[in-house]
Parts: sequence; structure tokens; C-alpha cells
Amino acid sequence: MADELLRVSDVSAGYLGQDVLHGAALTVGQGEVVAVIGSNGAGKTTLFRAVCGLVRPSGGTVHFDGIDITGLATHRASRSGLAYVPAERHLFPTMSVRENLVLGAYPERHQTEQLEFVYELFPRLGERKTQHAGKMSGGEQQMLAVARALMSRPRLLVLDEPTTGLAPKLAIEAYAALGELRRQGLTILVAEQQVPLVLGLADRGYVLDHGRIQLTGTANQLADDPEVRRAYLGVT
Amino acid sequence: MRSRAAHLAQDVVDAGATTGRSLGRDFAPILIVAVLLAFLPINYHDSRSMMTVIITGLLFAAYAIAFNVIFGSTAQLFLCVGALAGIGGFSAAMLSERAGVPMLVCILIAGVLAGLVGGLLSWVAVSRSLDVIFTGVVTLAFSLSFQSIILGRRDLTGGETGMVIDAGSDTVLDGKVGAYYVFLGLVVAYLVLYRVLQRSHIGWAFRALRDDEVAAELAGVDVTRYRVYAALIGSAMLGVAGAVFAFHRGFIGPSTYAFGDVDVRVLVMLVFGGIGSLLAPVLGAVVFTILDEALISLAQLRVVLYGIVIVALFLGFRRGVIPTLESVFSRWRNGDDGTAVESGFVTDD
Amino acid sequence: MTAVLLDGVVLGLQLGLLGVGLTLVYGLGGVLNLAHGQIAVLGAIVIARATNAGLSMGVAILLGLLSVGLFGLLVDLTLMRAVYRLSGESRVLLGLLLMLGVGTIIDGVLEWRYPIEALSVRITGAPVSVLGVAMSRGALMASAIALVAGFLLFIFLQFSAFGRATRSVIQDEEGARLCGVSPATVRSTIFVLSAVLAGLVAVTRSMTAPITVTSGFGLTILALVVAVVGGLGSVSGAFLAGLLLGIVNTVSAFTIGSYITTIVLLAAAAITILIRPSGLFGGRT
Repeated sequence: MADELLRVSDVSAGYLGQDVLHGAALTVGQGEVVAVIGSNGAGKTTLFRAVCGLVRPSGGTVHFDGIDITGLATHRASRSGLAYVPAERHLFPTMSVRENLVLGAYPERHQTEQLEFVYELFPRLGERKTQHAGKMSGGEQQMLAVARALMSRPRLLVLDEPTTGLAPKLAIEAYAALGELRRQGLTILVAEQQVPLVLGLADRGYVLDHGRIQLTGTANQLADDPEVRRAYLGVT
Repeated sequence: MRSRAAHLAQDVVDAGATTGRSLGRDFAPILIVAVLLAFLPINYHDSRSMMTVIITGLLFAAYAIAFNVIFGSTAQLFLCVGALAGIGGFSAAMLSERAGVPMLVCILIAGVLAGLVGGLLSWVAVSRSLDVIFTGVVTLAFSLSFQSIILGRRDLTGGETGMVIDAGSDTVLDGKVGAYYVFLGLVVAYLVLYRVLQRSHIGWAFRALRDDEVAAELAGVDVTRYRVYAALIGSAMLGVAGAVFAFHRGFIGPSTYAFGDVDVRVLVMLVFGGIGSLLAPVLGAVVFTILDEALISLAQLRVVLYGIVIVALFLGFRRGVIPTLESVFSRWRNGDDGTAVESGFVTDD
Repeated sequence: MTAVLLDGVVLGLQLGLLGVGLTLVYGLGGVLNLAHGQIAVLGAIVIARATNAGLSMGVAILLGLLSVGLFGLLVDLTLMRAVYRLSGESRVLLGLLLMLGVGTIIDGVLEWRYPIEALSVRITGAPVSVLGVAMSRGALMASAIALVAGFLLFIFLQFSAFGRATRSVIQDEEGARLCGVSPATVRSTIFVLSAVLAGLVAVTRSMTAPITVTSGFGLTILALVVAVVGGLGSVSGAFLAGLLLGIVNTVSAFTIGSYITTIVLLAAAAITILIRPSGLFGGRT
């Protein structure tokens, strides 16, 4: 872990004055893939929303590339190279695939090369350039959401449950694509309930439960941990 | 969700138990207002113009209480307060002038008609599950259509020139002081009705669906029915007030019930006092009647001032005077912070 | 009858342009601008005063559009920022009521200071025959301006980066933020644009009929009806609804009578809401 790209220190956050996240801390090094594992309601989404400025933390700090971005407006975080793909994707349903992608590069710098890059990574998007995003299948929409995030040439890709609503085969394909991105040196922070899949990809991981980090270690350590095996890998 | 529903279901049971408790505390404010206002004519009874102003103030208090039943209790944005009062006023005037129907019967029919129209509007809005903006647009469209009909059907309504109504002359509504007490009676009756509604199961249902419609529905509150009830009752109140005013004034025209002259003022009065608060309409009507009178020399500038007051009120003072005072008092008494959620419009009484 | 239809098209183009401003602002942030028509009249009165003061019509119009633009910016930076801090029903309600207040202020100020001021932009020249109907040059000029403005707006929204960003905020605000779009910047810009468009409509309308200080509320209601029938938030819907209602308006006024026409237009809005709340032409729900 040479260079630290993201440092989350003691962050608490929630909604309507009610904290869901209680002092979570994690780091992501340059070029690393880091997984956050936890069940529904553990606070994964709140953690990510706090990182990218969609929720203002009630305590703690978020540093991105050494700069304090705590509470920074989402669009500024995005422009500084932090791309977030929420589980609900938030695509623009009545815009074409191409328009969705071009918006990902807003304010539209170096979009032509990036378009080529994502069409190469996801050929299916290239075939459906003019289709409305809302008319695509769940798997294609997930692809588009990731591709849109890549359009801004992010330094950190933050993915919240990228396999939500995908059939097992498509989930595996999605992780294959993420593996390709990893090989190209992209730094990724990913939250996932499909623990075997994500531990196959990640270098390190954190286990989040009831808004607190309960456990951390390398992917192998976590995969061997009896507690993780029991709770998330279905091994008794 | 489940527990919220259960919580509310428990409240249904409790609502029955609390009836009968704190009767004094609930109705005392109305009595105080009634007694205070009852002495007003002693000072002003020999000034005809002053009494006209005061009576108009009471009329608007009555409108605002009725609007409070609809908007304050069930958050239905009815932008047709004037039109509903106008349905009452014009139907009463036509029945009396053209068919010779006795005055009281006219007033009664006016209330029923306005109630039915308001109830119908609400039923349509609720059954199509319109949000606040669409309810506002539909009722505004109704309001302006009504205005168009008043102007267009001059054979029935007198159009621009308006209608003269004779039935009110030589009755208690003719004299200024008599009329004053009739309108005061109306205001007090409306306040009592508002309070009784709040204390009843209907009032409980209103609060439940206003606070959390989904949970209310889960707890078995028939949302449609209670919204329509509120609109029906509030609209009938508007119709009666509009009709009584028509008989008192002896003349009604297109501006008597116009959107710009009635709805905007009623809204400002209610927001100033505090939407959903018992005495807010009275406080708002008193303050704005005095303000209106004090600024009479400014003519058109008053309209500007009204606009500024609307903007300032909504921007910085959405909770209104009464709820703000109440929270200050409760903080002072209990030592805790009695602040409610600042973002909302409607506060509980 | 051809003449009536053509008159309807002329009116419809203005209505479309009027409705677009309202629909964009609503689509972006849920604010129903009930002062839209009053802002148009404000522009008209500035132009009328400027020409009275001896400025040429062209300069006066520029000045008028500039002032409504600045007024829009002022309203956005002060009142609208407060509105956008809220969410859900509270935001919608506050936006609507605040703009009702702004409209009242404009109405009051204009009626107080310039009660008899009015704007009539006269386009001189002999009538031109269109499909066998003699059309006044004013009507043709107004239509041409509306068409060009509508076309430019379409190009801007469809093909420019900022236009795309605008549409992205209408479709999914959170998605837009994640792409690096600042909703606040988009809203401010479009609010200003909407005010300028309102001012432009005041100019084109005044080429066929004078705009007086009391025209504001009526224009607001027309804009509202057009935006609702076209589907709140739908730009193309607003243009189509404007054309349709313009024709309905003149045909109805010609065949039935003027007070019924008002009711027909209002009923069109109410019926749209009840039957197809996403608008006559939109598929969006």
C-alpha cells in the first residue's frame, strides 16, 4: 500500500438525525481493490453515500488523494476523480446509451477516447448506442452504469452492490469486467453481499455490521475467517 | 412500517379514551376570543366604515377557519376558497332573488351546494391520487372557470355589474352591529366545529394521515373518505359564510369572491397565524385587517406589501405565530427544547 | 376558417414558448413558477419605458430581456435557493407559494407605478398573403421569432453539453450529480433562461395585441395550462400543447364565445391531470 488514495476516518452518518453509520474507518491504496462486506442494512450504502458527498457525515473525515473532501458536493467529488455507481444505478432512462455515456464525461472532456475505451470493454453497449437506457435489461443497465462512471476517467471507482438484480451468470460476467479494470490498474472500492465473488476480486476487505467495521484483513484472511464463513459464505 | 401501523392502531383506541378529557383546555381559547371580540362594537358602533372593515375581517376569519379544515387538517391545497364561497353566495342570491326562497333556507342550500362541489373536487383529487401541485392546479382551474362563468352568464349573475340582494334588508343582517354579532357567531361556531372535529375520531384520522399517510392506511384509516369529509365540511362552511355575506352586503359582484381578492388573503392570514392551529385564522384575520386599514392610503402599494409579506412569511416563518409562541412557551416552562421540525408547513395545535 | 386556424398557429407558437419556460423550471426542481406571466409583463414594461425614454426599439428590447434575466437570477439566488433546500411536498408547496408572492409583488409595483403603461411593438408594412389569408406582418414576425427561438432552444437542449446536463437533472437528479453536473448551476441558468423567454414572449405577443400591466396573471395561467397539457417537465410536450391550445383557443373563441373559451382551456388542463397526468404527448409517468 504505497500511496493512499482514500482515507475514511471515524465517519458517522445517517438520515433525519439518526446515525446508521457509527465511526467507520477504512483506507484504499492506489491500485487496490477493496471490498466492504455486510448484510442488508449494515450501513454499506450510507458509508458510500458519505464518501461521495450524497450524505453529509455527522462526524469524521473523508480524504481523497490527501485532500479533505468531507461534505464536498457530489458533483465536485465526481469531477475530482471519484466515481460512484449506486445500486439503483440512477441512469437517465429516456436518453440513449451514448448520451448517458457522454454525460458521464461531463463537462465532456476527452469523451471520444473514453467512448472507444468503454465500447471495447463492453461491446454490447457499442451495439446498443442509440437504445434508450430505460429499455435495456438489468445486466445491460449495470454495464451502462459502470461504463458511465468510467467515462470521467476516475481515479477511484466506488461500486455499491454491482450484482443487484442480476442473474448468477451475469453477476459472474460483471465481476469478470471488474477484473479487467483491475488489471488495467484501476482502484476500486466495492460493497457486496455476494461474498465469494467479491473476495475473488479484492485484495483486502472490511466487514461492516450495525454501522461499525467489525473485521478487516486480506481477502484470503477473510475467506478463511470462521465468522465470515458462517455469516456470509454459508459454511457452518 | 408494521410497527408504525400498530402504533397508530393503538392511538385509535386511545382517541376514544381521551375524549372528554381536558374539555376546558380545548374550548377555553374559543370562549376567550368570543368574549374579547364581543366588546369590539362598543368602541366602533357609530362608525359605519369601521364596522364594515371589522365585519369583513370576521368574514375572512370564517373563510380561513374553513380553509384550515381542508388544508390545515388534510393538506389538500384548495386554491378555490373564493369560488366555493362564491357558489354559496351566488346560489343563495339567485334562489332568493329569482325564486323567493326564504333567506335561511337559501343559506342552508348554499352550504350544501358548496359542500357537494368541494367534496366532489376532493373525491376526484384523492381517487386520482393527485399530489399537492396537481390538486392546486385543478382547483385553480375550477376557481378561474367559476370566475369566467360569473362574468360570462350575465343573464344569471349580472356579469360585471353584479347582483343586488334584497332579502337581507330589514333583518338582523342589515344593521352593522347586528351583522357584526351574526358574523362573530359564525366565527365562534366554526371554531367550535373545528375543535370538535379535531377531538373526534375524524380529527384523529386527519392527523394520522397528515403525519404519515402510508402508516395511517395500514392502520385502517380510509384515507379517501377522511380527505373527502374534510373538504366537504370545509367547503360547506365556505358556502355558508359566502351566502351570509351576500345577504348582509346586499350586493355581490365578480370581485366579491375572486381568487386574487379572497384566496391569496386567506392563505396569507392562515400562514401568518400558523397552518393547522386553532386560532391562527382569527389572529391572521385581525392582524391583516388592521394592517389593511392602516395602509389604506397607500392604495396599490398595499398589493406590493401583501406580496412582500407572503414571500417573507413563507421564507422565514412557515410555522406561523401561534406554533412559534407555543414552542417558546413550552421551552420556557419545561426547560426542554420544544422545537418542531422546521422544514414542514403544518404544525399541530 | 383557414384564417382562424392560422391565427391559432400564431397564438400557439407564443403559447408554446411561454409554456416551455414554466415546464423547464418545474421539471428541474419542482417549482411551479406562478409569476411567469408577471415576469413577462415586467420585461414588456421595461421595454415600453425605455422606448418612451427615447431608446430605439432594438436596444429597448435587449435592455428588457436583460433586466428580466437579471431579475430571474436575483429570484433564483435568493428565494429559490431556500426552496431547493427542502425536499418533497414541502419544496413544491413553498416554491409555488413564494412565486405566487413574487407575482403579486410585480403586479402591485407595476399597477402602482405605471398603471397605464403598455407595450405594443408595431411591425409596419402591408399584410402578406399566406394560404390565401392576409396575415399582418406583426403576426408573421412574432411567429418567425417564436419558431427561431424554439428551434435554438431545441438545439441547445438536444446537442449542447449544458443542454444534456439540463435534461439529466430533469430525469434523475442524483444521477446527474454523480456525473459531475451541478444541479444548482443548471437550475439557476435555466431559471434565468426561462425569465428571458417570458420576456421574449411579451415582445412577440405585443406585435399583435398590446401587453398591459394587468396581463401578467392571465399569461401565467396560459403558461400553466400549456405546461400541464404538455406534461410538466416535457419541453416538446409544451411546444405541441401550445400549438394545439392556440388553435383550440381561436377556434373556440370564433365558434362558441370568449368566456367559454377560457373555461375550455382550463378544463383541458384539469382533464389532462385527471386522465393523463404525464401530459398528452409524453410517455413519461
